[in-house]
Amino acid sequence: MYLSIAARAFQSRLAYRSQVWASFFGQTIQILARIAIWTAAYAGTASVEGVSLDDMVTYSILAGTVLAAWYYEALIQDIGTSVKTGDVAVFLLKPIRYPLYLFSSAFGEFAFRITAVVLPVVIVISFIYGLQPPASLFHGLMFASFWLLSFIILFELAATCGLLSFWLLTSFSLTYFLQGVIALFSGSLVPLWFFPPAFEAVARLLPFAWIAYYPVAVYLGQLGVEETLLFFAFGLGWAGLLALGIAMLWARASMRLIVQGG
Amino acid sequence: MIAYLRVLAYLASLHVRSLFEYPGAVMLAWVSQGFSYVSVYTAIALIILRFDTLGGWGWPEMALLLSFHLLAYSMGAAFSFTQFRELEEVVRLGTFDCLLVKPISPWAYIVFSGFNTQYISHVVVAIGLMSWAVGQVDIAWSIPTAFYFLASLVSSAVLVACIITMLGANALVWVRSRYLFSTFFGFWELARFPLNIFPGVIQFVMLTIAPLGFLAYVPVAVILGKDVVLLGPAAPVLALLAGPVAVLIARAHWRFCLRNYQGAGG
Repeated sequence: MYLSIAARAFQSRLAYRSQVWASFFGQTIQILARIAIWTAAYAGTASVEGVSLDDMVTYSILAGTVLAAWYYEALIQDIGTSVKTGDVAVFLLKPIRYPLYLFSSAFGEFAFRITAVVLPVVIVISFIYGLQPPASLFHGLMFASFWLLSFIILFELAATCGLLSFWLLTSFSLTYFLQGVIALFSGSLVPLWFFPPAFEAVARLLPFAWIAYYPVAVYLGQLGVEETLLFFAFGLGWAGLLALGIAMLWARASMRLIVQGG
Repeated sequence: MIAYLRVLAYLASLHVRSLFEYPGAVMLAWVSQGFSYVSVYTAIALIILRFDTLGGWGWPEMALLLSFHLLAYSMGAAFSFTQFRELEEVVRLGTFDCLLVKPISPWAYIVFSGFNTQYISHVVVAIGLMSWAVGQVDIAWSIPTAFYFLASLVSSAVLVACIITMLGANALVWVRSRYLFSTFFGFWELARFPLNIFPGVIQFVMLTIAPLGFLAYVPVAVILGKDVVLLGPAAPVLALLAGPVAVLIARAHWRFCLRNYQGAGG
């Protein structure tokens, strides 16, 4: 049933072709901008902290597209709207679990955006700037695994924020809050290796680092085999912890749900 | 005329009052929006502090650029963004027809009845950063310079409101327009950085088709005495003209869309 929900989410996106074009165009511009920023920053410098400009171009392409593979803001807003309108009550009558329904639907959109937006953007930009291959076959395969883990953690963080709107009755603020945290701590704009040491040490342990930093760092071979596996296991731990948090939040939220007029 | 302005002010005050029915949500929105901008600016500061400059711009100059960008955007967007982003929904539900029979301009009604105070945190962050940056950069302040600074800020704010109006107005003809805002914000993010770091094609686009280069880069580069790409010595005048010219274009576009409005039902 959940697979069917994911498939329908994928198909429903096909109806919005103009949005796909707008996303493709907007995403291409953003990645081109990030490449231009790093090119300007590296002017006259071959390498910083052992990282070359070519590495940073690849980092910009992959970090930008990994994060763009799913529009997490929409999930928070959708949950907020469901809480406001009372539509969320409908899910209590259905033989499905609301968080799993959200995950299936989000996964369908994720698969759609990878196919329709991310891959075309990566192909176009790689054609212009050149995308480095992964450091090894192992790192390439682990990048794919880290990307999936990145989606799961991003979904869980967004769903946690969305479910908090049961108490706060606003999803708008939570969206901005998560955007701010992700902008700084995910490594999507600035890789953590450019952070001041103390700041970096903390940021490396937070779940946000698994959203963009670790997948691309693994691809570039910044982490050895043992480190890669260790941090993958650590990321799975975060995913499990966040899943537990969502389950608890939903259990409490569904108990306190009062729909207007009820 | 005074009575008309009073109506507009009254419409704005009604919307503000309705927002403050939920003071907790308003405060939370201010804090979270401010936090979001501070996070992004911290990330940009980390790049510049690590590499010293970005396209010849040091951190204090970048801070002035970022704060000008945020202040001009928030001033323009308070009068336009949420109003025109939601216009497609107004058109789709048919409620735009009700605006056409009101004894007030539909544009004025949309703008003032949706005046958005959520941008206060933007203004606070922008003014805070700008106050610091102005003290750090080397600007020979004089009355004409100060006047130019304020005039270009207003011109940039007007430019933002006009672009958003034009994007939203497309909903009157094509019903859907919301997706255009993702492209707008793509260029809006680019406008946070000095235009000279981008390839020539992007520089050209940002000064013509998507003129967000005038939002912050052109006026701030002029104030800092830096060379402005593509525009050269015409930059100071063009920065001031960007807003008024955008008004004329936006006015013509809005009227065109209004003339061709048929409702979502065809």
